[in-house]
Amino acid sequence: MTGVSRLYWDDFRAGQAFELGSRTVSKEEIVRFARAFDPQPFHVDEAAAQRYPYGGLIASGWHTASMVMRMFVDGLLAERAPSMGSPGVDELRWLKPVRPGDTVTLTLHVVETRASRSKPDRGLVIVRHELRNQSGETVMTMLSKGFFPRRPAGAAA
Amino acid sequence: MIYFEDVEPGTVRETGTKTVTADEIIAFAREFDPQYFHLDAEAAKDSMFGGLVASGWHTASMTMRLMVDSFVGDTASIGSPGFDDLRWLKPVRPGDTIRVRSTVLDKSPSQRRPEIGSVRFRTEALNQRGEVVMSLTSIGLYRRRPSAG
Repeated sequence: MTGVSRLYWDDFRAGQAFELGSRTVSKEEIVRFARAFDPQPFHVDEAAAQRYPYGGLIASGWHTASMVMRMFVDGLLAERAPSMGSPGVDELRWLKPVRPGDTVTLTLHVVETRASRSKPDRGLVIVRHELRNQSGETVMTMLSKGFFPRRPAGAAA
Repeated sequence: MIYFEDVEPGTVRETGTKTVTADEIIAFAREFDPQYFHLDAEAAKDSMFGGLVASGWHTASMTMRLMVDSFVGDTASIGSPGFDDLRWLKPVRPGDTIRVRSTVLDKSPSQRRPEIGSVRFRTEALNQRGEVVMSLTSIGLYRRRPSAG
């Protein structure tokens, strides 16, 4: 973990923003995910997708959310800020379709932090995830909640 | 074909079942949620879960698959704008069998798009012990019944 500063619950503050990078989604990935988890016609078949009001084949919203999770883990949870689990997410909205070839970029906004009353070793962080496409349009938002450990005594700030 | 007009608040439907394997848990996590307790059964023993567990997003995705297979084809559903109040309540472990129970809460016609309406559901994923492992309030968009003539 060289050169990566570790973040504890104590380091999160409402108003912070984290830029967590971009990824491009291919038609092959869209169809592969949808065949496994969301085989509605507009996610798996270009021709069938024409019968729906989305202008063509689009990614499953669950695929978009899963890509957000991957970017969240890669950018924050894996090394910088390992979490102690999440009770869930709220207010997820799929605002615009994600299409083959789109490049999506994730920004996290810290909304609130709360100390745990029952468990003094951790606290809750509430973040708003904002996923935008290459045209700058917001395609997905959600609020997620995660528990993070509090800085142990003696750990470098 | 179930159109918006045919949806009745209070209706409860259940899907078929899906048994999840360790290989599937690891494959999903490698691609979408590479935290160690979703990837490595040995290392996961020391985690808060005490063993390998599925990513919550994998549980959610399996839930969607069960619903598409069991209900969505019967309906004039055209997708979803999102969901609220998703809670991961209990871990999902290799060998667990999931089924989904869906209860219609309410429905409302779209203000902006008269050809569709919106339906809210309470969606619950249950394991083989009948425990709710995940719940959420799903929102579905349905085509309205085409006018005759």
